[in-house]
Amino acid sequence: MPMRAAKSLRISHVGLRGVVGSGMTAAHVIDFASAFGTFLESRAPVVIGRDPRASGAMIREGVIAALQATGHDVVDLGLVSTPVIQHTIRRLDAAGGISIGASHNTADWNALKFFGARGTYLSTAEAGELLDIYHLHNFDFVPWNKTGALRRLDGAIDGYLDGLAAVYDLEAIKGLKVLVDCSNGTSSLLLRRMNERFGFNFILINARLQGAVFAHEPSTTASVVALQLAPLMTTVGADAGFLFDVDSDRVAMATEEGAPVSEELALPLLADWVLPRVPGRLIIANLSSTALLEEIARRHGAKVIRIPVGRHTAIDALASYREEQIAIAGEGTGAVMMPQFRFVYDGIASMLGVLSMMVERRSTLSEILGGYPRYSILKGQVPISSPRIPALLMGLQERYADGRANVVDGLRMDWPDRWFHVRVSQTEPLVRVIAEQRGDPPQELFEELMEQVRRFA
Amino acid sequence: MARREHLLKIGVSGIRGVVGEFLTPQLACAFAQAFGTYVGQGRVVVGRDTRASGPMLQHSVACGLLAAGCQVIDVGVLPTPTIQIYVASSGARGGIAITASHNPSEYNALKLFGPSGLIFNSYERGELLDLFHQSDFRQASNEEIGSVTCDYDAPKRRHFERVLRHVDVERIRARRFLVGLDAVNGAGAVTTVPFLRDWLGCRVEAINVDPTRPFPRVAEPRPDTLGDLSELVRRTGADLGFAQDPDGDRLAVADETGRVIDNDDVLALVVDAALENLPGDVVVNLTTSAVVNDIARAHGRRVYRTPVGEANVVETMQVVNAAIGGEGSNGGVIFPAVHMCRDSYTGMAFLLDRMARTGQTVSELTRRLPRYYRKLGKVTYEHGMLGALMQALEDRFPDVETDRSDGLKLTWPDAWIHVRASNTEPILRLAVEASDQARMESMYSGLEKLFAEVKGA
Repeated sequence: MPMRAAKSLRISHVGLRGVVGSGMTAAHVIDFASAFGTFLESRAPVVIGRDPRASGAMIREGVIAALQATGHDVVDLGLVSTPVIQHTIRRLDAAGGISIGASHNTADWNALKFFGARGTYLSTAEAGELLDIYHLHNFDFVPWNKTGALRRLDGAIDGYLDGLAAVYDLEAIKGLKVLVDCSNGTSSLLLRRMNERFGFNFILINARLQGAVFAHEPSTTASVVALQLAPLMTTVGADAGFLFDVDSDRVAMATEEGAPVSEELALPLLADWVLPRVPGRLIIANLSSTALLEEIARRHGAKVIRIPVGRHTAIDALASYREEQIAIAGEGTGAVMMPQFRFVYDGIASMLGVLSMMVERRSTLSEILGGYPRYSILKGQVPISSPRIPALLMGLQERYADGRANVVDGLRMDWPDRWFHVRVSQTEPLVRVIAEQRGDPPQELFEELMEQVRRFA
Repeated sequence: MARREHLLKIGVSGIRGVVGEFLTPQLACAFAQAFGTYVGQGRVVVGRDTRASGPMLQHSVACGLLAAGCQVIDVGVLPTPTIQIYVASSGARGGIAITASHNPSEYNALKLFGPSGLIFNSYERGELLDLFHQSDFRQASNEEIGSVTCDYDAPKRRHFERVLRHVDVERIRARRFLVGLDAVNGAGAVTTVPFLRDWLGCRVEAINVDPTRPFPRVAEPRPDTLGDLSELVRRTGADLGFAQDPDGDRLAVADETGRVIDNDDVLALVVDAALENLPGDVVVNLTTSAVVNDIARAHGRRVYRTPVGEANVVETMQVVNAAIGGEGSNGGVIFPAVHMCRDSYTGMAFLLDRMARTGQTVSELTRRLPRYYRKLGKVTYEHGMLGALMQALEDRFPDVETDRSDGLKLTWPDAWIHVRASNTEPILRLAVEASDQARMESMYSGLEKLFAEVKGA
């Protein structure tokens, strides 16, 4: 399909992403990494690592060459989870880092994710500067005798686990029997080491690192959990089940009864756990995630800050509050960060939070989830022609004038028991429609919205 | 106004330039991807000399090759002939040596080899260049992308075994020669001491054998740049001294008094040794001394002359199935029975073998050669000057034998003049040889005078 090929390269504030070969090429990789090497003002080393996709071998070579050519020493962590890269940047006082991996995308995709000196994603302004350098092709190559050196770092995983052990009471939770679907990604390296080092009882499926064929789409959604993880829960007799994407920054769950848990629930669940433990009263979440958050926030005297969808906007939001004000930040995709373990989307840390909660409350996961009111969410998408989007959004705002409107990213309309969000995807020529209601699904509202949006298609 | 300096050359000889501002990871990666596209999917051997920019370019090259769907065999720091022989003996699709050979340290380049470890002929090089310019590269998908594997030991062994098949190793070993070595901190720094000491039983006094240090002298091994080797030979009382260029294809030799002998004489000695054992003719470039004609005549063989450049010599050697060939002043010996490439190790082994067999010293061996006097010089290249000089020379000497295949060569029974443009630098090269020193000096000053007249006109 030519249409698909044309859309398989995305260069944006999020970085570089594409289907390798037909979209993303060696030339893109070297140019983008040269831009990043130019962008970083510090000449300190840059930390890199990759997920097991076969194309990662090619991309790694290009990233190393470009960083060396821009005068940076490179610390290579090899096959490793993204949160480990981010922690290692801080531990080594590195200039920044690059994670090579396409996270939750299928195996034919790959991507570069860029991190600054704090180990966090770039802010919107920083990402914009990086893009400008990339587009100008005005790279600061150093003279021939100043090119950087390559060094491998062993023990990055243990350094990261030291950090986890300082924050979580591992002793208290290591007795739980936990079934994990690694999606053929790098989480297996961490979890095996945790079994070995701390005596955890993680039982792993899809634990083999695979370069070309994953056992299933490595996406942290309830429907993927339902494929293999959830059906095995009762057979194994596990206390909880978790599924990670390929580079383990996102997590999804299954209960001890074998029920897949909506990816929307990771953030509220962890907010409920972390709010009593930290001084911060702010929850940073994007406009598309569940209103259960507001309900949980109210229970703990906290407040939800709603931001546009996109990782850089979370970084912008985090930078506009004092660190101790923030309790937790995340997306409805299963990507959650808790400042007690740095501002890093971290599926492993999220899992430990959920396990800690179970032990502290002496409850099963299904008991804890059962304590929350039910919210039902409906999601849809409609292809659209860009020129008509402003008219669509304006029309919707007038039609639903009785709600509370938020227009920072498309249109979000809130009523006491329900809300909808209509926004334009940053990655595909689509309008996304999301509607949620406390209790039963908001079927009528959703269909009405879809009908309205289609009129502008 | 002075022209802006552009220290990069991309042409049928490949890609060469000053690393940093001119030779970038982008260009190296694209050239390697063009090469990978040209040779097709399969294994490609990649090695390098010790230049500081080598690791960066090696990663760039590996990136381009993997992106084209090739497997990369990394052989690390090795002499160029060693890499070529490994390509030929390993069934690889081709090879890339990252080296600017005898050029200064700030330069680097890619030397490209086809499936038999041979330099591409001029037609193949033209095709590859077109492919590069068209950017019409093979873009491998994730499933087609291979990996980088390392083989650091086999290449040296294969090379040395091939060389030593043609000499009497036991006879050399029995002599326990004391050899001075200047490896210019190049690729020979890691291979030449073991070759002489472990394989040929020599005692070795070596300088400049630290591959992590910069080149301590002019990279090209010429008599006027090898003062340290002369001093080393005198100080240690060595039987002879060897000097290599950074990628170990060129060789210079000092006799037991420390005098660095003319590279044309080294070639003559090796040609003499080869013709004693093998049938076949001799191929040398136009600037090589007439001493080779005398040697060949004594063996009843013919000498073919080609334009300057290893590729040109090799092309003709293949066509005439030559026994041996080379480029005199450049310090290159090409012995097809080992491999069709310039190889300092073949030169070293042949010379030691000859000394062992005859019991003569280097100065005694050299003294037996017919005596010619040579002078090689260069002047700055200006567009249009070469043609004017060639016309003036032909006008001055209307009745002499001429060859216009590479600049102009005029040949008398006892002397010759050769003027040509360099392939790699913006200079004109002037060369004069005669059997009488006074005649040679007067011819050379006459040539300089003529050039000044042409320039002034």
